[in-house]
Amino acid sequence: MDKYRASRVKSAAAWALAFVFAIVATVFAVMPFVFMVLNSFKEKFEMLQKGVFALPQELYLDNYIGVMAGNFGVFFRNSVLVLAVSLTLLLFVSACASYPLSKMHFGLADPIYGVIVACMSIPLHITLIPVFRMMQNLHLYNTIWALPGPYIAFGVPISVFILTSFMKGIPDEIIESAEIDGCNKYGMFFRIMLPLSKPGLSTLAIYNGVNMWNEFSFAYTLTQDAAHRTLPLAVWEYRGQYSMNTPMIMAVLTLTVLPMIVLFAVAQDKLVKGMTAGAVKG
Amino acid sequence: MKRTHVTVLGKRALAVALGVVCAVGLAACGSGSGSGAAATTAASGGGQTAAAPAPGGGDDKTIEFWHIATEGGHKVKVEAAIEKFNSTTQSGYKVVGVPIQNDTYKEKLVIAMSSGECPDAYVSWSGGPMNEYINSGFARELDALFDATPNKDKYLEGALAQGRLDGKLYGIPYHNTSISGVFYNTEIFAKYGLEEPKTLEDLEKICDTLLENDIIPFALANGSKWTGSMYFMSLAARKGGLEPFQKAVAGEGTFEDAAFIYAGEKIQEWVKKGYFPEGVNSLSEDDGQAKQLMYQEAAGMLLCGSWYTGTFSDDSKEFYAKVNWFSFPEITGSGADPKIQIGTVGDQFISMNCDGDKLKAAVEFATIFSDDDMIQVGIDNGTVPPFKGVVDQLTDPCTVKIMQAAADAPEIQLWYDQYLPPAVATAHLDGSQEIFGLTKTPEQAAKMMQDAMAKYNSESK
Amino acid sequence: MTKTATTSLQRKRARETHVAAAVFLAPVVVLLAVFIFYPIFDTFHISTFKWNGIDANPVFIGLGNWAALLKDGAFWIAFRNNITIMVCSILVQIPLGLAMATFLDFGGTKKLNVFKILWFIPLLMSSVAIGFLFTYALATNGGIVSTISRFLGGKNIDLLGNPRLALFTVIMVIAWQFTPFYMVYCMAAYTNIPMEVFEASIIDGATKPQYFRHIALPLLMPSLKSAAILSMVGSLKYFDLIYVMTGGGPGTSTELMATYMYKQSFKNFNMGYGSAVAAGMFLLITCMALATMRLINQKEG
Repeated sequence: MDKYRASRVKSAAAWALAFVFAIVATVFAVMPFVFMVLNSFKEKFEMLQKGVFALPQELYLDNYIGVMAGNFGVFFRNSVLVLAVSLTLLLFVSACASYPLSKMHFGLADPIYGVIVACMSIPLHITLIPVFRMMQNLHLYNTIWALPGPYIAFGVPISVFILTSFMKGIPDEIIESAEIDGCNKYGMFFRIMLPLSKPGLSTLAIYNGVNMWNEFSFAYTLTQDAAHRTLPLAVWEYRGQYSMNTPMIMAVLTLTVLPMIVLFAVAQDKLVKGMTAGAVKG
Repeated sequence: MKRTHVTVLGKRALAVALGVVCAVGLAACGSGSGSGAAATTAASGGGQTAAAPAPGGGDDKTIEFWHIATEGGHKVKVEAAIEKFNSTTQSGYKVVGVPIQNDTYKEKLVIAMSSGECPDAYVSWSGGPMNEYINSGFARELDALFDATPNKDKYLEGALAQGRLDGKLYGIPYHNTSISGVFYNTEIFAKYGLEEPKTLEDLEKICDTLLENDIIPFALANGSKWTGSMYFMSLAARKGGLEPFQKAVAGEGTFEDAAFIYAGEKIQEWVKKGYFPEGVNSLSEDDGQAKQLMYQEAAGMLLCGSWYTGTFSDDSKEFYAKVNWFSFPEITGSGADPKIQIGTVGDQFISMNCDGDKLKAAVEFATIFSDDDMIQVGIDNGTVPPFKGVVDQLTDPCTVKIMQAAADAPEIQLWYDQYLPPAVATAHLDGSQEIFGLTKTPEQAAKMMQDAMAKYNSESK
Repeated sequence: MTKTATTSLQRKRARETHVAAAVFLAPVVVLLAVFIFYPIFDTFHISTFKWNGIDANPVFIGLGNWAALLKDGAFWIAFRNNITIMVCSILVQIPLGLAMATFLDFGGTKKLNVFKILWFIPLLMSSVAIGFLFTYALATNGGIVSTISRFLGGKNIDLLGNPRLALFTVIMVIAWQFTPFYMVYCMAAYTNIPMEVFEASIIDGATKPQYFRHIALPLLMPSLKSAAILSMVGSLKYFDLIYVMTGGGPGTSTELMATYMYKQSFKNFNMGYGSAVAAGMFLLITCMALATMRLINQKEG
């Protein structure tokens, strides 16, 4: 009994300590976001004079009104479209590639895996000129359809890397029993591998989704007119050679990040369900 | 149920995926086949330029114009000029403006040029980068066409000089006149009985007085590097005039000249005395950390380009009313002309990459900025367009004072970091930042710069 | 069943496997060929020229840029900085991410969801906002760190302007941004541990720390190893926040291979040399990543 109680006390103490750390971590994680939002409610002179970490003097909404009056809606729509197309295709082709690399035995598996891993180490900026030229030749330059190609390609190496190791963890017995049931390789992919990879896929969806949503270099290299730009370029209109309207930029960035937070908050419940489903079967 | 759903979705996705992949793959083959080997960026890119003089997408009657007027008054002005040209021109051409944000502009221009997609007209800051564009064949010589324009006599000679290379005009100035000088808070000066300095000793006395009263003498955010370079340029020019610089660039002198060493030593002396904010190399000009010190009245003076008149008044009219300006004071006994100024007359220059009638129309467009109504738009938006007679139209007292100094200058040297070949400019900026950080001696920084200059000169021969 | 029948069946199976593998791998291979192999090939090619990036006539100089690269002190300083970032990132981000995921996993589900969402926010924010806010938060005078230091009786601390501290300061900001990724990553790894394993160990009388050390950690190890590889490659090609916050300065104290490559290629009109830097960087990172993977796998075997 004593031993039991002692362990209960110890456990409660450990939880209390963990909770304190969790609160501290939360403060660290959220502070910059909070100040981003607070500064978006300031007038630009106020922000500099009273300091970035002061509270806004009043609820100043002009920044948001100004942003909404601009091209924000167009940028938002473009970003959503590019994200939806790129992310879907990325996850699908990555899962396709990870399946043979993790579960089929053939001689080239290791070399191909090595090459794909090597692709992770390419610095993005050296691809700007070749990709720009390619999109010019394809007549995709200055349309949002120039973006999915590079977005998918740059997400592939890391996604295949993660998914392959994830799929390796799926027990061989499941695959064997499906094979005995007469399931071929293609059916196997759709019926067994894809559903069982949900936890890995959802992690990748989050990671790649965030990257694509905030992607900047390809976006400004491959688009030109306001009608074809994505959200990360929305700050341009508030930033000149010698001046910049920081509170307005903070308003743009707040509006950019909010949908992602909401999406994560709403979707993570479903993600957890997907994850546990995978875990139970596994 | 769920499984079938996944399968159908999967098949549809597969179809789309394969379509995209095939299209992209074919295109890649197509783009590669033009030049034989797949990887001949350099050769094929340049070749396209020579072969196809009408870049920027087919339409012959469109002049594609790249600029950085994404925001504020600058945007208003450029849009007004494009509008005016398109509605009044007899040339049959139309200008299509492409605004690109300043921070990414140079990079995007390089990408476009290297792919043979250089726009018909584009802005640059003249100096080193413009020379690269010219030497690579992306800028036309404009003298004959420019001399035929009705407004040619309105241009300030100093402005045209900065748009030339080897005596030929490649860039038409259009935007602003900015020289470096010292802005100060008149209330703070009055409070401590301070007056505008005549000499460097006067300036140092002002700094000491401010320090005694817990006011930072100079607001400076040197994380951006070019901001600290202004002190270096000003001190070097007051110590030795412009000759040491011009000789060093030409390869006849050196950046290890006494004037540059003096500038470095003076800066380090000031750093040690506490004339600059703490952690000066970590502060960011882009994020407004220098002007913040002025607005909070924590600092008394700010040495920077005179575009700051616009910055101040744009942020707060009330604050701007407290601000006045003086030219960097002379160093007694140096023998250098204290009327020399550092800065840009024009700020931005329009270069052309087109020929024939289109080039003529493009020049017509570039000179539209010197029309009286366009000048007025510029003045209304807080800039001083680089044209004769503009000074007389100015009403803002601070701006008048600055422009008088610019008009009195026997010579205006373009900012080092824009004038120098880019690699040398980088060496200068890095070295000057390390001088402020006390991590390099003035001699070491000078040697870094001189090595870069010597390397450039030996390679370009 | 005769021997020949077996082998022909095996052969048929092997052929089927090859076809299926080819079909599944084709889209990715094509994509990578177009957007990654081609640019890499291009980069190696350009690295043999002296070229300002725009001129129609680059000058072939063979291995001149490569010879210069080997002797270029600035590049090797950048490489060293990358290594520092890599080591710190692996040591800070992965353990922290694991700790956060463990907390969420052990605590059950619903109640702690708030933490999960809040902890995830740093990864969502754009580098522009992070750069701006941290520049002010880390300012020597009036910044948050200095204010705390003064409150505790210390002096102002110049975190970003002091060459000795700047790199570590940025490393902390990078860790702040990327730890949530490893949190999500470890959470996915946790879901792969079957519920029965946890229940069985608790029935056997294991405390939660014991379960973590002896059961969960070994099962998470493969995922943690992959995470280390990811962190390694990510750190070695890092660019974003450094470029926004310090631009490589003061001096060369936060210069990285990627920022150095960018400066040479796009700012200094030195595309040929910048390509050599990029290609060198590619070779270094790939070799290090593949060597590490081999090492890890050997230990497993």
